[in-house]
Amino acid sequence: MINLISRAILMSTPLLIGATAEVFAERAGVMIIAIEGIFLIGAWGGFVGAFTTGSSFMGFFLASGLGVLTAALYGVLTVKLKQHQIVTGTAINIFIAGIVTFFHRVLFGVPLLPLTIEPFRTLPIPLLSKIPILGPILFTQSLLTYVAYIVAPFGFFILFKTSAGLVVRSTGENPESVDVAGIDVERVRLIVILIAGFMGGIAGSFYSIVYLGMYTSGIIGGRGWIAFAICFLGNWNPLGAMVGALIFGIAEALAIYMQSSGGGILPNELFIAMPYILTIVLTISRKRFNVPTKLGVPYIKEH
Amino acid sequence: MSPKMRDLIVTTFLSVFLGLAVSGLMMLFLGADPLSVYGRLFQFLVRDKYTFADIFVKATPLVFTALAFAFTFKANLYNIGAQGQFYMGSVAAVFISLFLGGIVPGPIALLFALAAAIVSGGLWGMIVGYVKARFQANDFLVSMMSVFIALALMNYLLRTVLIEAKREYPQTDPILHDLYIPIIANGTRLHAGFLLAVAVAVLCWIFLYKTTIGYRIRVVGMNPVAAKFAGIDAGKIFVIAFLISGALAGMAGFTEVNGVQHMLVQGFNPTIGAEGIGIAILANANPIGIIFGAILFGALKVGGQILGQTSGIPSSIIEIMEGFVMLFVLISFYIRRRIEIRREIKKLKSEAVQ
Amino acid sequence: METPFIELKGITKYFSRVIANKDISLSIGKGEVLALLGENGAGKSTIMKVLYGLYHAEEGDIFINGEKTTISSPKDAINLGIGMIQQHFSLVPRHTVTENIILGNKSGILDHTVLSNQVRNLAETYGFNIDPDSFIMDLSVGLQQKAEILKALYQEAELLIMDEPTAVLTPQEADNLMAFIREFVDRGNSVVFISHKMKEVMKVADRVIVMRSGRILGNLRKGETTETELSALMVGKDLPFLENKRRRVSEIGVDIKKLTVLGPQGHIALENVSFSIGKGEIFGIAGVSGNGQQELGDVISGLLPIKSGDILMDGKSIKDLSVKERIDAGIGYVHADRLTAGLVLEMSLSENMFLKNSFDPAWAKHMFINRKKLNGYANKAIEDYSIKASGNDELVKGLSGGNQQKVVVAREVDIGRKAIIFDQPTRGLDLGAIDYVHKTILAERDKGKCVLLISTELSEIFSLSDRIGVLYSGRLLGIINREDADIETIGMLMAGYEPQEGNTHES
Repeated sequence: MINLISRAILMSTPLLIGATAEVFAERAGVMIIAIEGIFLIGAWGGFVGAFTTGSSFMGFFLASGLGVLTAALYGVLTVKLKQHQIVTGTAINIFIAGIVTFFHRVLFGVPLLPLTIEPFRTLPIPLLSKIPILGPILFTQSLLTYVAYIVAPFGFFILFKTSAGLVVRSTGENPESVDVAGIDVERVRLIVILIAGFMGGIAGSFYSIVYLGMYTSGIIGGRGWIAFAICFLGNWNPLGAMVGALIFGIAEALAIYMQSSGGGILPNELFIAMPYILTIVLTISRKRFNVPTKLGVPYIKEH
Repeated sequence: MSPKMRDLIVTTFLSVFLGLAVSGLMMLFLGADPLSVYGRLFQFLVRDKYTFADIFVKATPLVFTALAFAFTFKANLYNIGAQGQFYMGSVAAVFISLFLGGIVPGPIALLFALAAAIVSGGLWGMIVGYVKARFQANDFLVSMMSVFIALALMNYLLRTVLIEAKREYPQTDPILHDLYIPIIANGTRLHAGFLLAVAVAVLCWIFLYKTTIGYRIRVVGMNPVAAKFAGIDAGKIFVIAFLISGALAGMAGFTEVNGVQHMLVQGFNPTIGAEGIGIAILANANPIGIIFGAILFGALKVGGQILGQTSGIPSSIIEIMEGFVMLFVLISFYIRRRIEIRREIKKLKSEAVQ
Repeated sequence: METPFIELKGITKYFSRVIANKDISLSIGKGEVLALLGENGAGKSTIMKVLYGLYHAEEGDIFINGEKTTISSPKDAINLGIGMIQQHFSLVPRHTVTENIILGNKSGILDHTVLSNQVRNLAETYGFNIDPDSFIMDLSVGLQQKAEILKALYQEAELLIMDEPTAVLTPQEADNLMAFIREFVDRGNSVVFISHKMKEVMKVADRVIVMRSGRILGNLRKGETTETELSALMVGKDLPFLENKRRRVSEIGVDIKKLTVLGPQGHIALENVSFSIGKGEIFGIAGVSGNGQQELGDVISGLLPIKSGDILMDGKSIKDLSVKERIDAGIGYVHADRLTAGLVLEMSLSENMFLKNSFDPAWAKHMFINRKKLNGYANKAIEDYSIKASGNDELVKGLSGGNQQKVVVAREVDIGRKAIIFDQPTRGLDLGAIDYVHKTILAERDKGKCVLLISTELSEIFSLSDRIGVLYSGRLLGIINREDADIETIGMLMAGYEPQEGNTHES
């Protein structure tokens, strides 16, 4: 049981990072449809960096870099060239899938056995990890998890208590108000997108560096979309995203547990489908209050 | 020809060309020479009847999935679930084919399989439309999630109910020969499904632009407020649009099961949903344009396969080519708009001088 | 002569379809109120947006205190002491007054309490009664405008550009604004007052510049000109007097009984409203927008549900009829928001004429649209209403505002066999189009239809209505015959003074 909750928090990590990134972007009015592709290139880049240099941190570095590049492409097309966000995001997701598979082949050929790296070890916090029950659950996680659960509340603080956050929120509600205040709307959106790319890349790299210790083509399997959904379900609030990420983390941990312990009467596939069914159920039952008013609308003004 | 049309054709060709060119550059990473690679590819495509016909075989399901996205797009809805509706259509088609095979004469069974695919895909899609109409749920998210659920469901069925008699692999038995969609070109595997696709595309065009319901779908898509004031029930339109959209994607299941694979296996055609979206984009959601877009993507896919067989280029080059072409097309949308604006300003300036 | 505070020389600006400003040169002095007078589309807002850095001009220069300056964004303008209050406020409705004011003006960590107090003090200095912690979307339009002004004051503006500021105010609130303008200018600041309302311009301005079709046609001190001269410059032609003979009406067509309607946020939008419209009568509803006018039109056409009360047509209740059924019953509705509610911009003229007919089997055989019939219908509308379009297949977005409105009017007038609701039918139209719409409204009345005219333009209400009612806060205060009505009484009612109370108002 303790193992289950600990696992749940672990699995929630990339979802939380990705969701927080998405919250920031959507608060500024941009949906990062390319998020699945960013997760994917993060996972791949993380693996490549860690494999070739032996250092996990190089993996994170490469993952975040590639995430930023992908996000930059998305940003230029949607913000600068005012193209449709869903259309552009889908194109980039297809593109990245191809690029990643192709260059994996270029770099590694077709290995007989899957290549592995040393999975990123957990980092028990001295003293705190010794606390019974809470210790193993909360304080014996990987560094990335600690980072995720600090970044989220920090994101909340920035969004609601600083002028930068006010600018971001105003951009998503009424970009004209920001424009008139003399701030470049496009610049705000591009910056937010790049940050999201950075965070998304790191989130993706979790799966290869921290969790699996290797890279396979199906490694992300729609989890970028779950992070995307958590932004919605968390009401565009990083704190809400924390709750959402935990719920999905529990779902995933349960699924893994069920699969490995035979699952009993219920089929494996049901547990695989669980997070997605959950997303639909939650989407239906929640009345969204905080949709940024101008979400998804490119800002066009005459010059 | 109007300047706008000229721009459209020129930029589309340019985008495709640039997309292929940049993909060619990628080949350099593998030590291959893009010019000779493409040269060999072209020879193959043109000379070999089987390969050339395969373009249309590959294009067939893409027409359906692209139509599926385009149809809901006209209503300003996003059906990202075509892949899942395709799976559901495949399951229904193969089930009816196996069930009726030998019991009912071939052509009739074939029609039943088609009907089953349509109903199955349509219902699966309708769930999204209903959820949107009733709960104002986000159609993008719900349709996206429905794909993964459909995949899990299909895999489950392939492992249990539909599994082959040998029970060795998660796949079905092959269907009987008289349940194959007839081949229309000797020496190839081009089947009548392609003709069905073209006919359906034309029907979609007629439906959207010549009928009252199609009109109402477009009104809801372009201006939901005006639709409300016109007494149009947006909720009903959502359900209809997703129903038709899902049915279209389901038809791809029929053509692939009964026309190509003649059975159902796991992991087949995993990308036609997303590719359908890409094609719909290229064609600006126009059903006739989609036919051409699908043929283009079909050519890319066949080309990618050939490249793999003859030059050792991995099949992921297909997605790279598709991706680059799409990205260049998006850029071309922007460039065309800028040219249009500049043209209008020039016209104004010349008018002002008079 | 003293160097003017701000000077614009030779400004020319194009948009993708129009020449908005042609070679505009003007100057603004310190301590003066300059009015830019002109009809809709004259280019007044555009030139000021160039000054404010929102637009970049193709040609021309700007001089501040004699020095050539480049203003490439509103930030530059704000730094130079220029503030602009636009027609559509650039406020964030979901945020508070304070948050809106400090946007772009404060950086770093925000201490909401301290900032709120700052705003409160500033408001008190100018006598604005506004709570800095309230949300913009909860404030009346007049107060929202005060928030916009406060923002400019917070940024220490020395020039305030105001674009049609009184469009959304009651006459009393407008006077309030004028008083503020005078006080602001007496402190040595300047104001540019953009308007199409002659009376106000004559009241508040020191100097008047008249613009038409993107050019300056007159630049006069107030004392040196008259309303007639300004009007002639604005319009360029004489407007024929509108023939309007009021008929005696006996039969009631539409009867509104004790109607109470809730708005989308659950508040009471209409309360116990009762009146009737005779067949062949124009009933005018006056009032500042936001007092229930739109809800009145929406509820009669079936878009909003009734909380209590009834609507009768020809003696029969229609309150349970759907929108579609009311269209079939012959109720036409020219909505105030023609671009969002009345037209589909990306569709052709023909297809727009089809908007409310799509369920009618007369137009479609087995679901297939009868194109020939539709095109014929559209062509007739183009001819009858002199719509300037290249053909029935032209996309409506390519038409001018006036012609777009003609399409809507043509369609609704045809649908409205029994009753037609006109809500702000001439907003944003040039004088020729306004004249046309007015003639159409009168013609429909003379055919025996019930006409409900809702408008914030009092002159329009006065020239067309047979009887006038005033909506204030969802209540109908007073129904007056046109011959018994005068601006003062109506103005009082618009501001909420019940007929028997309140002081008399001095004009």
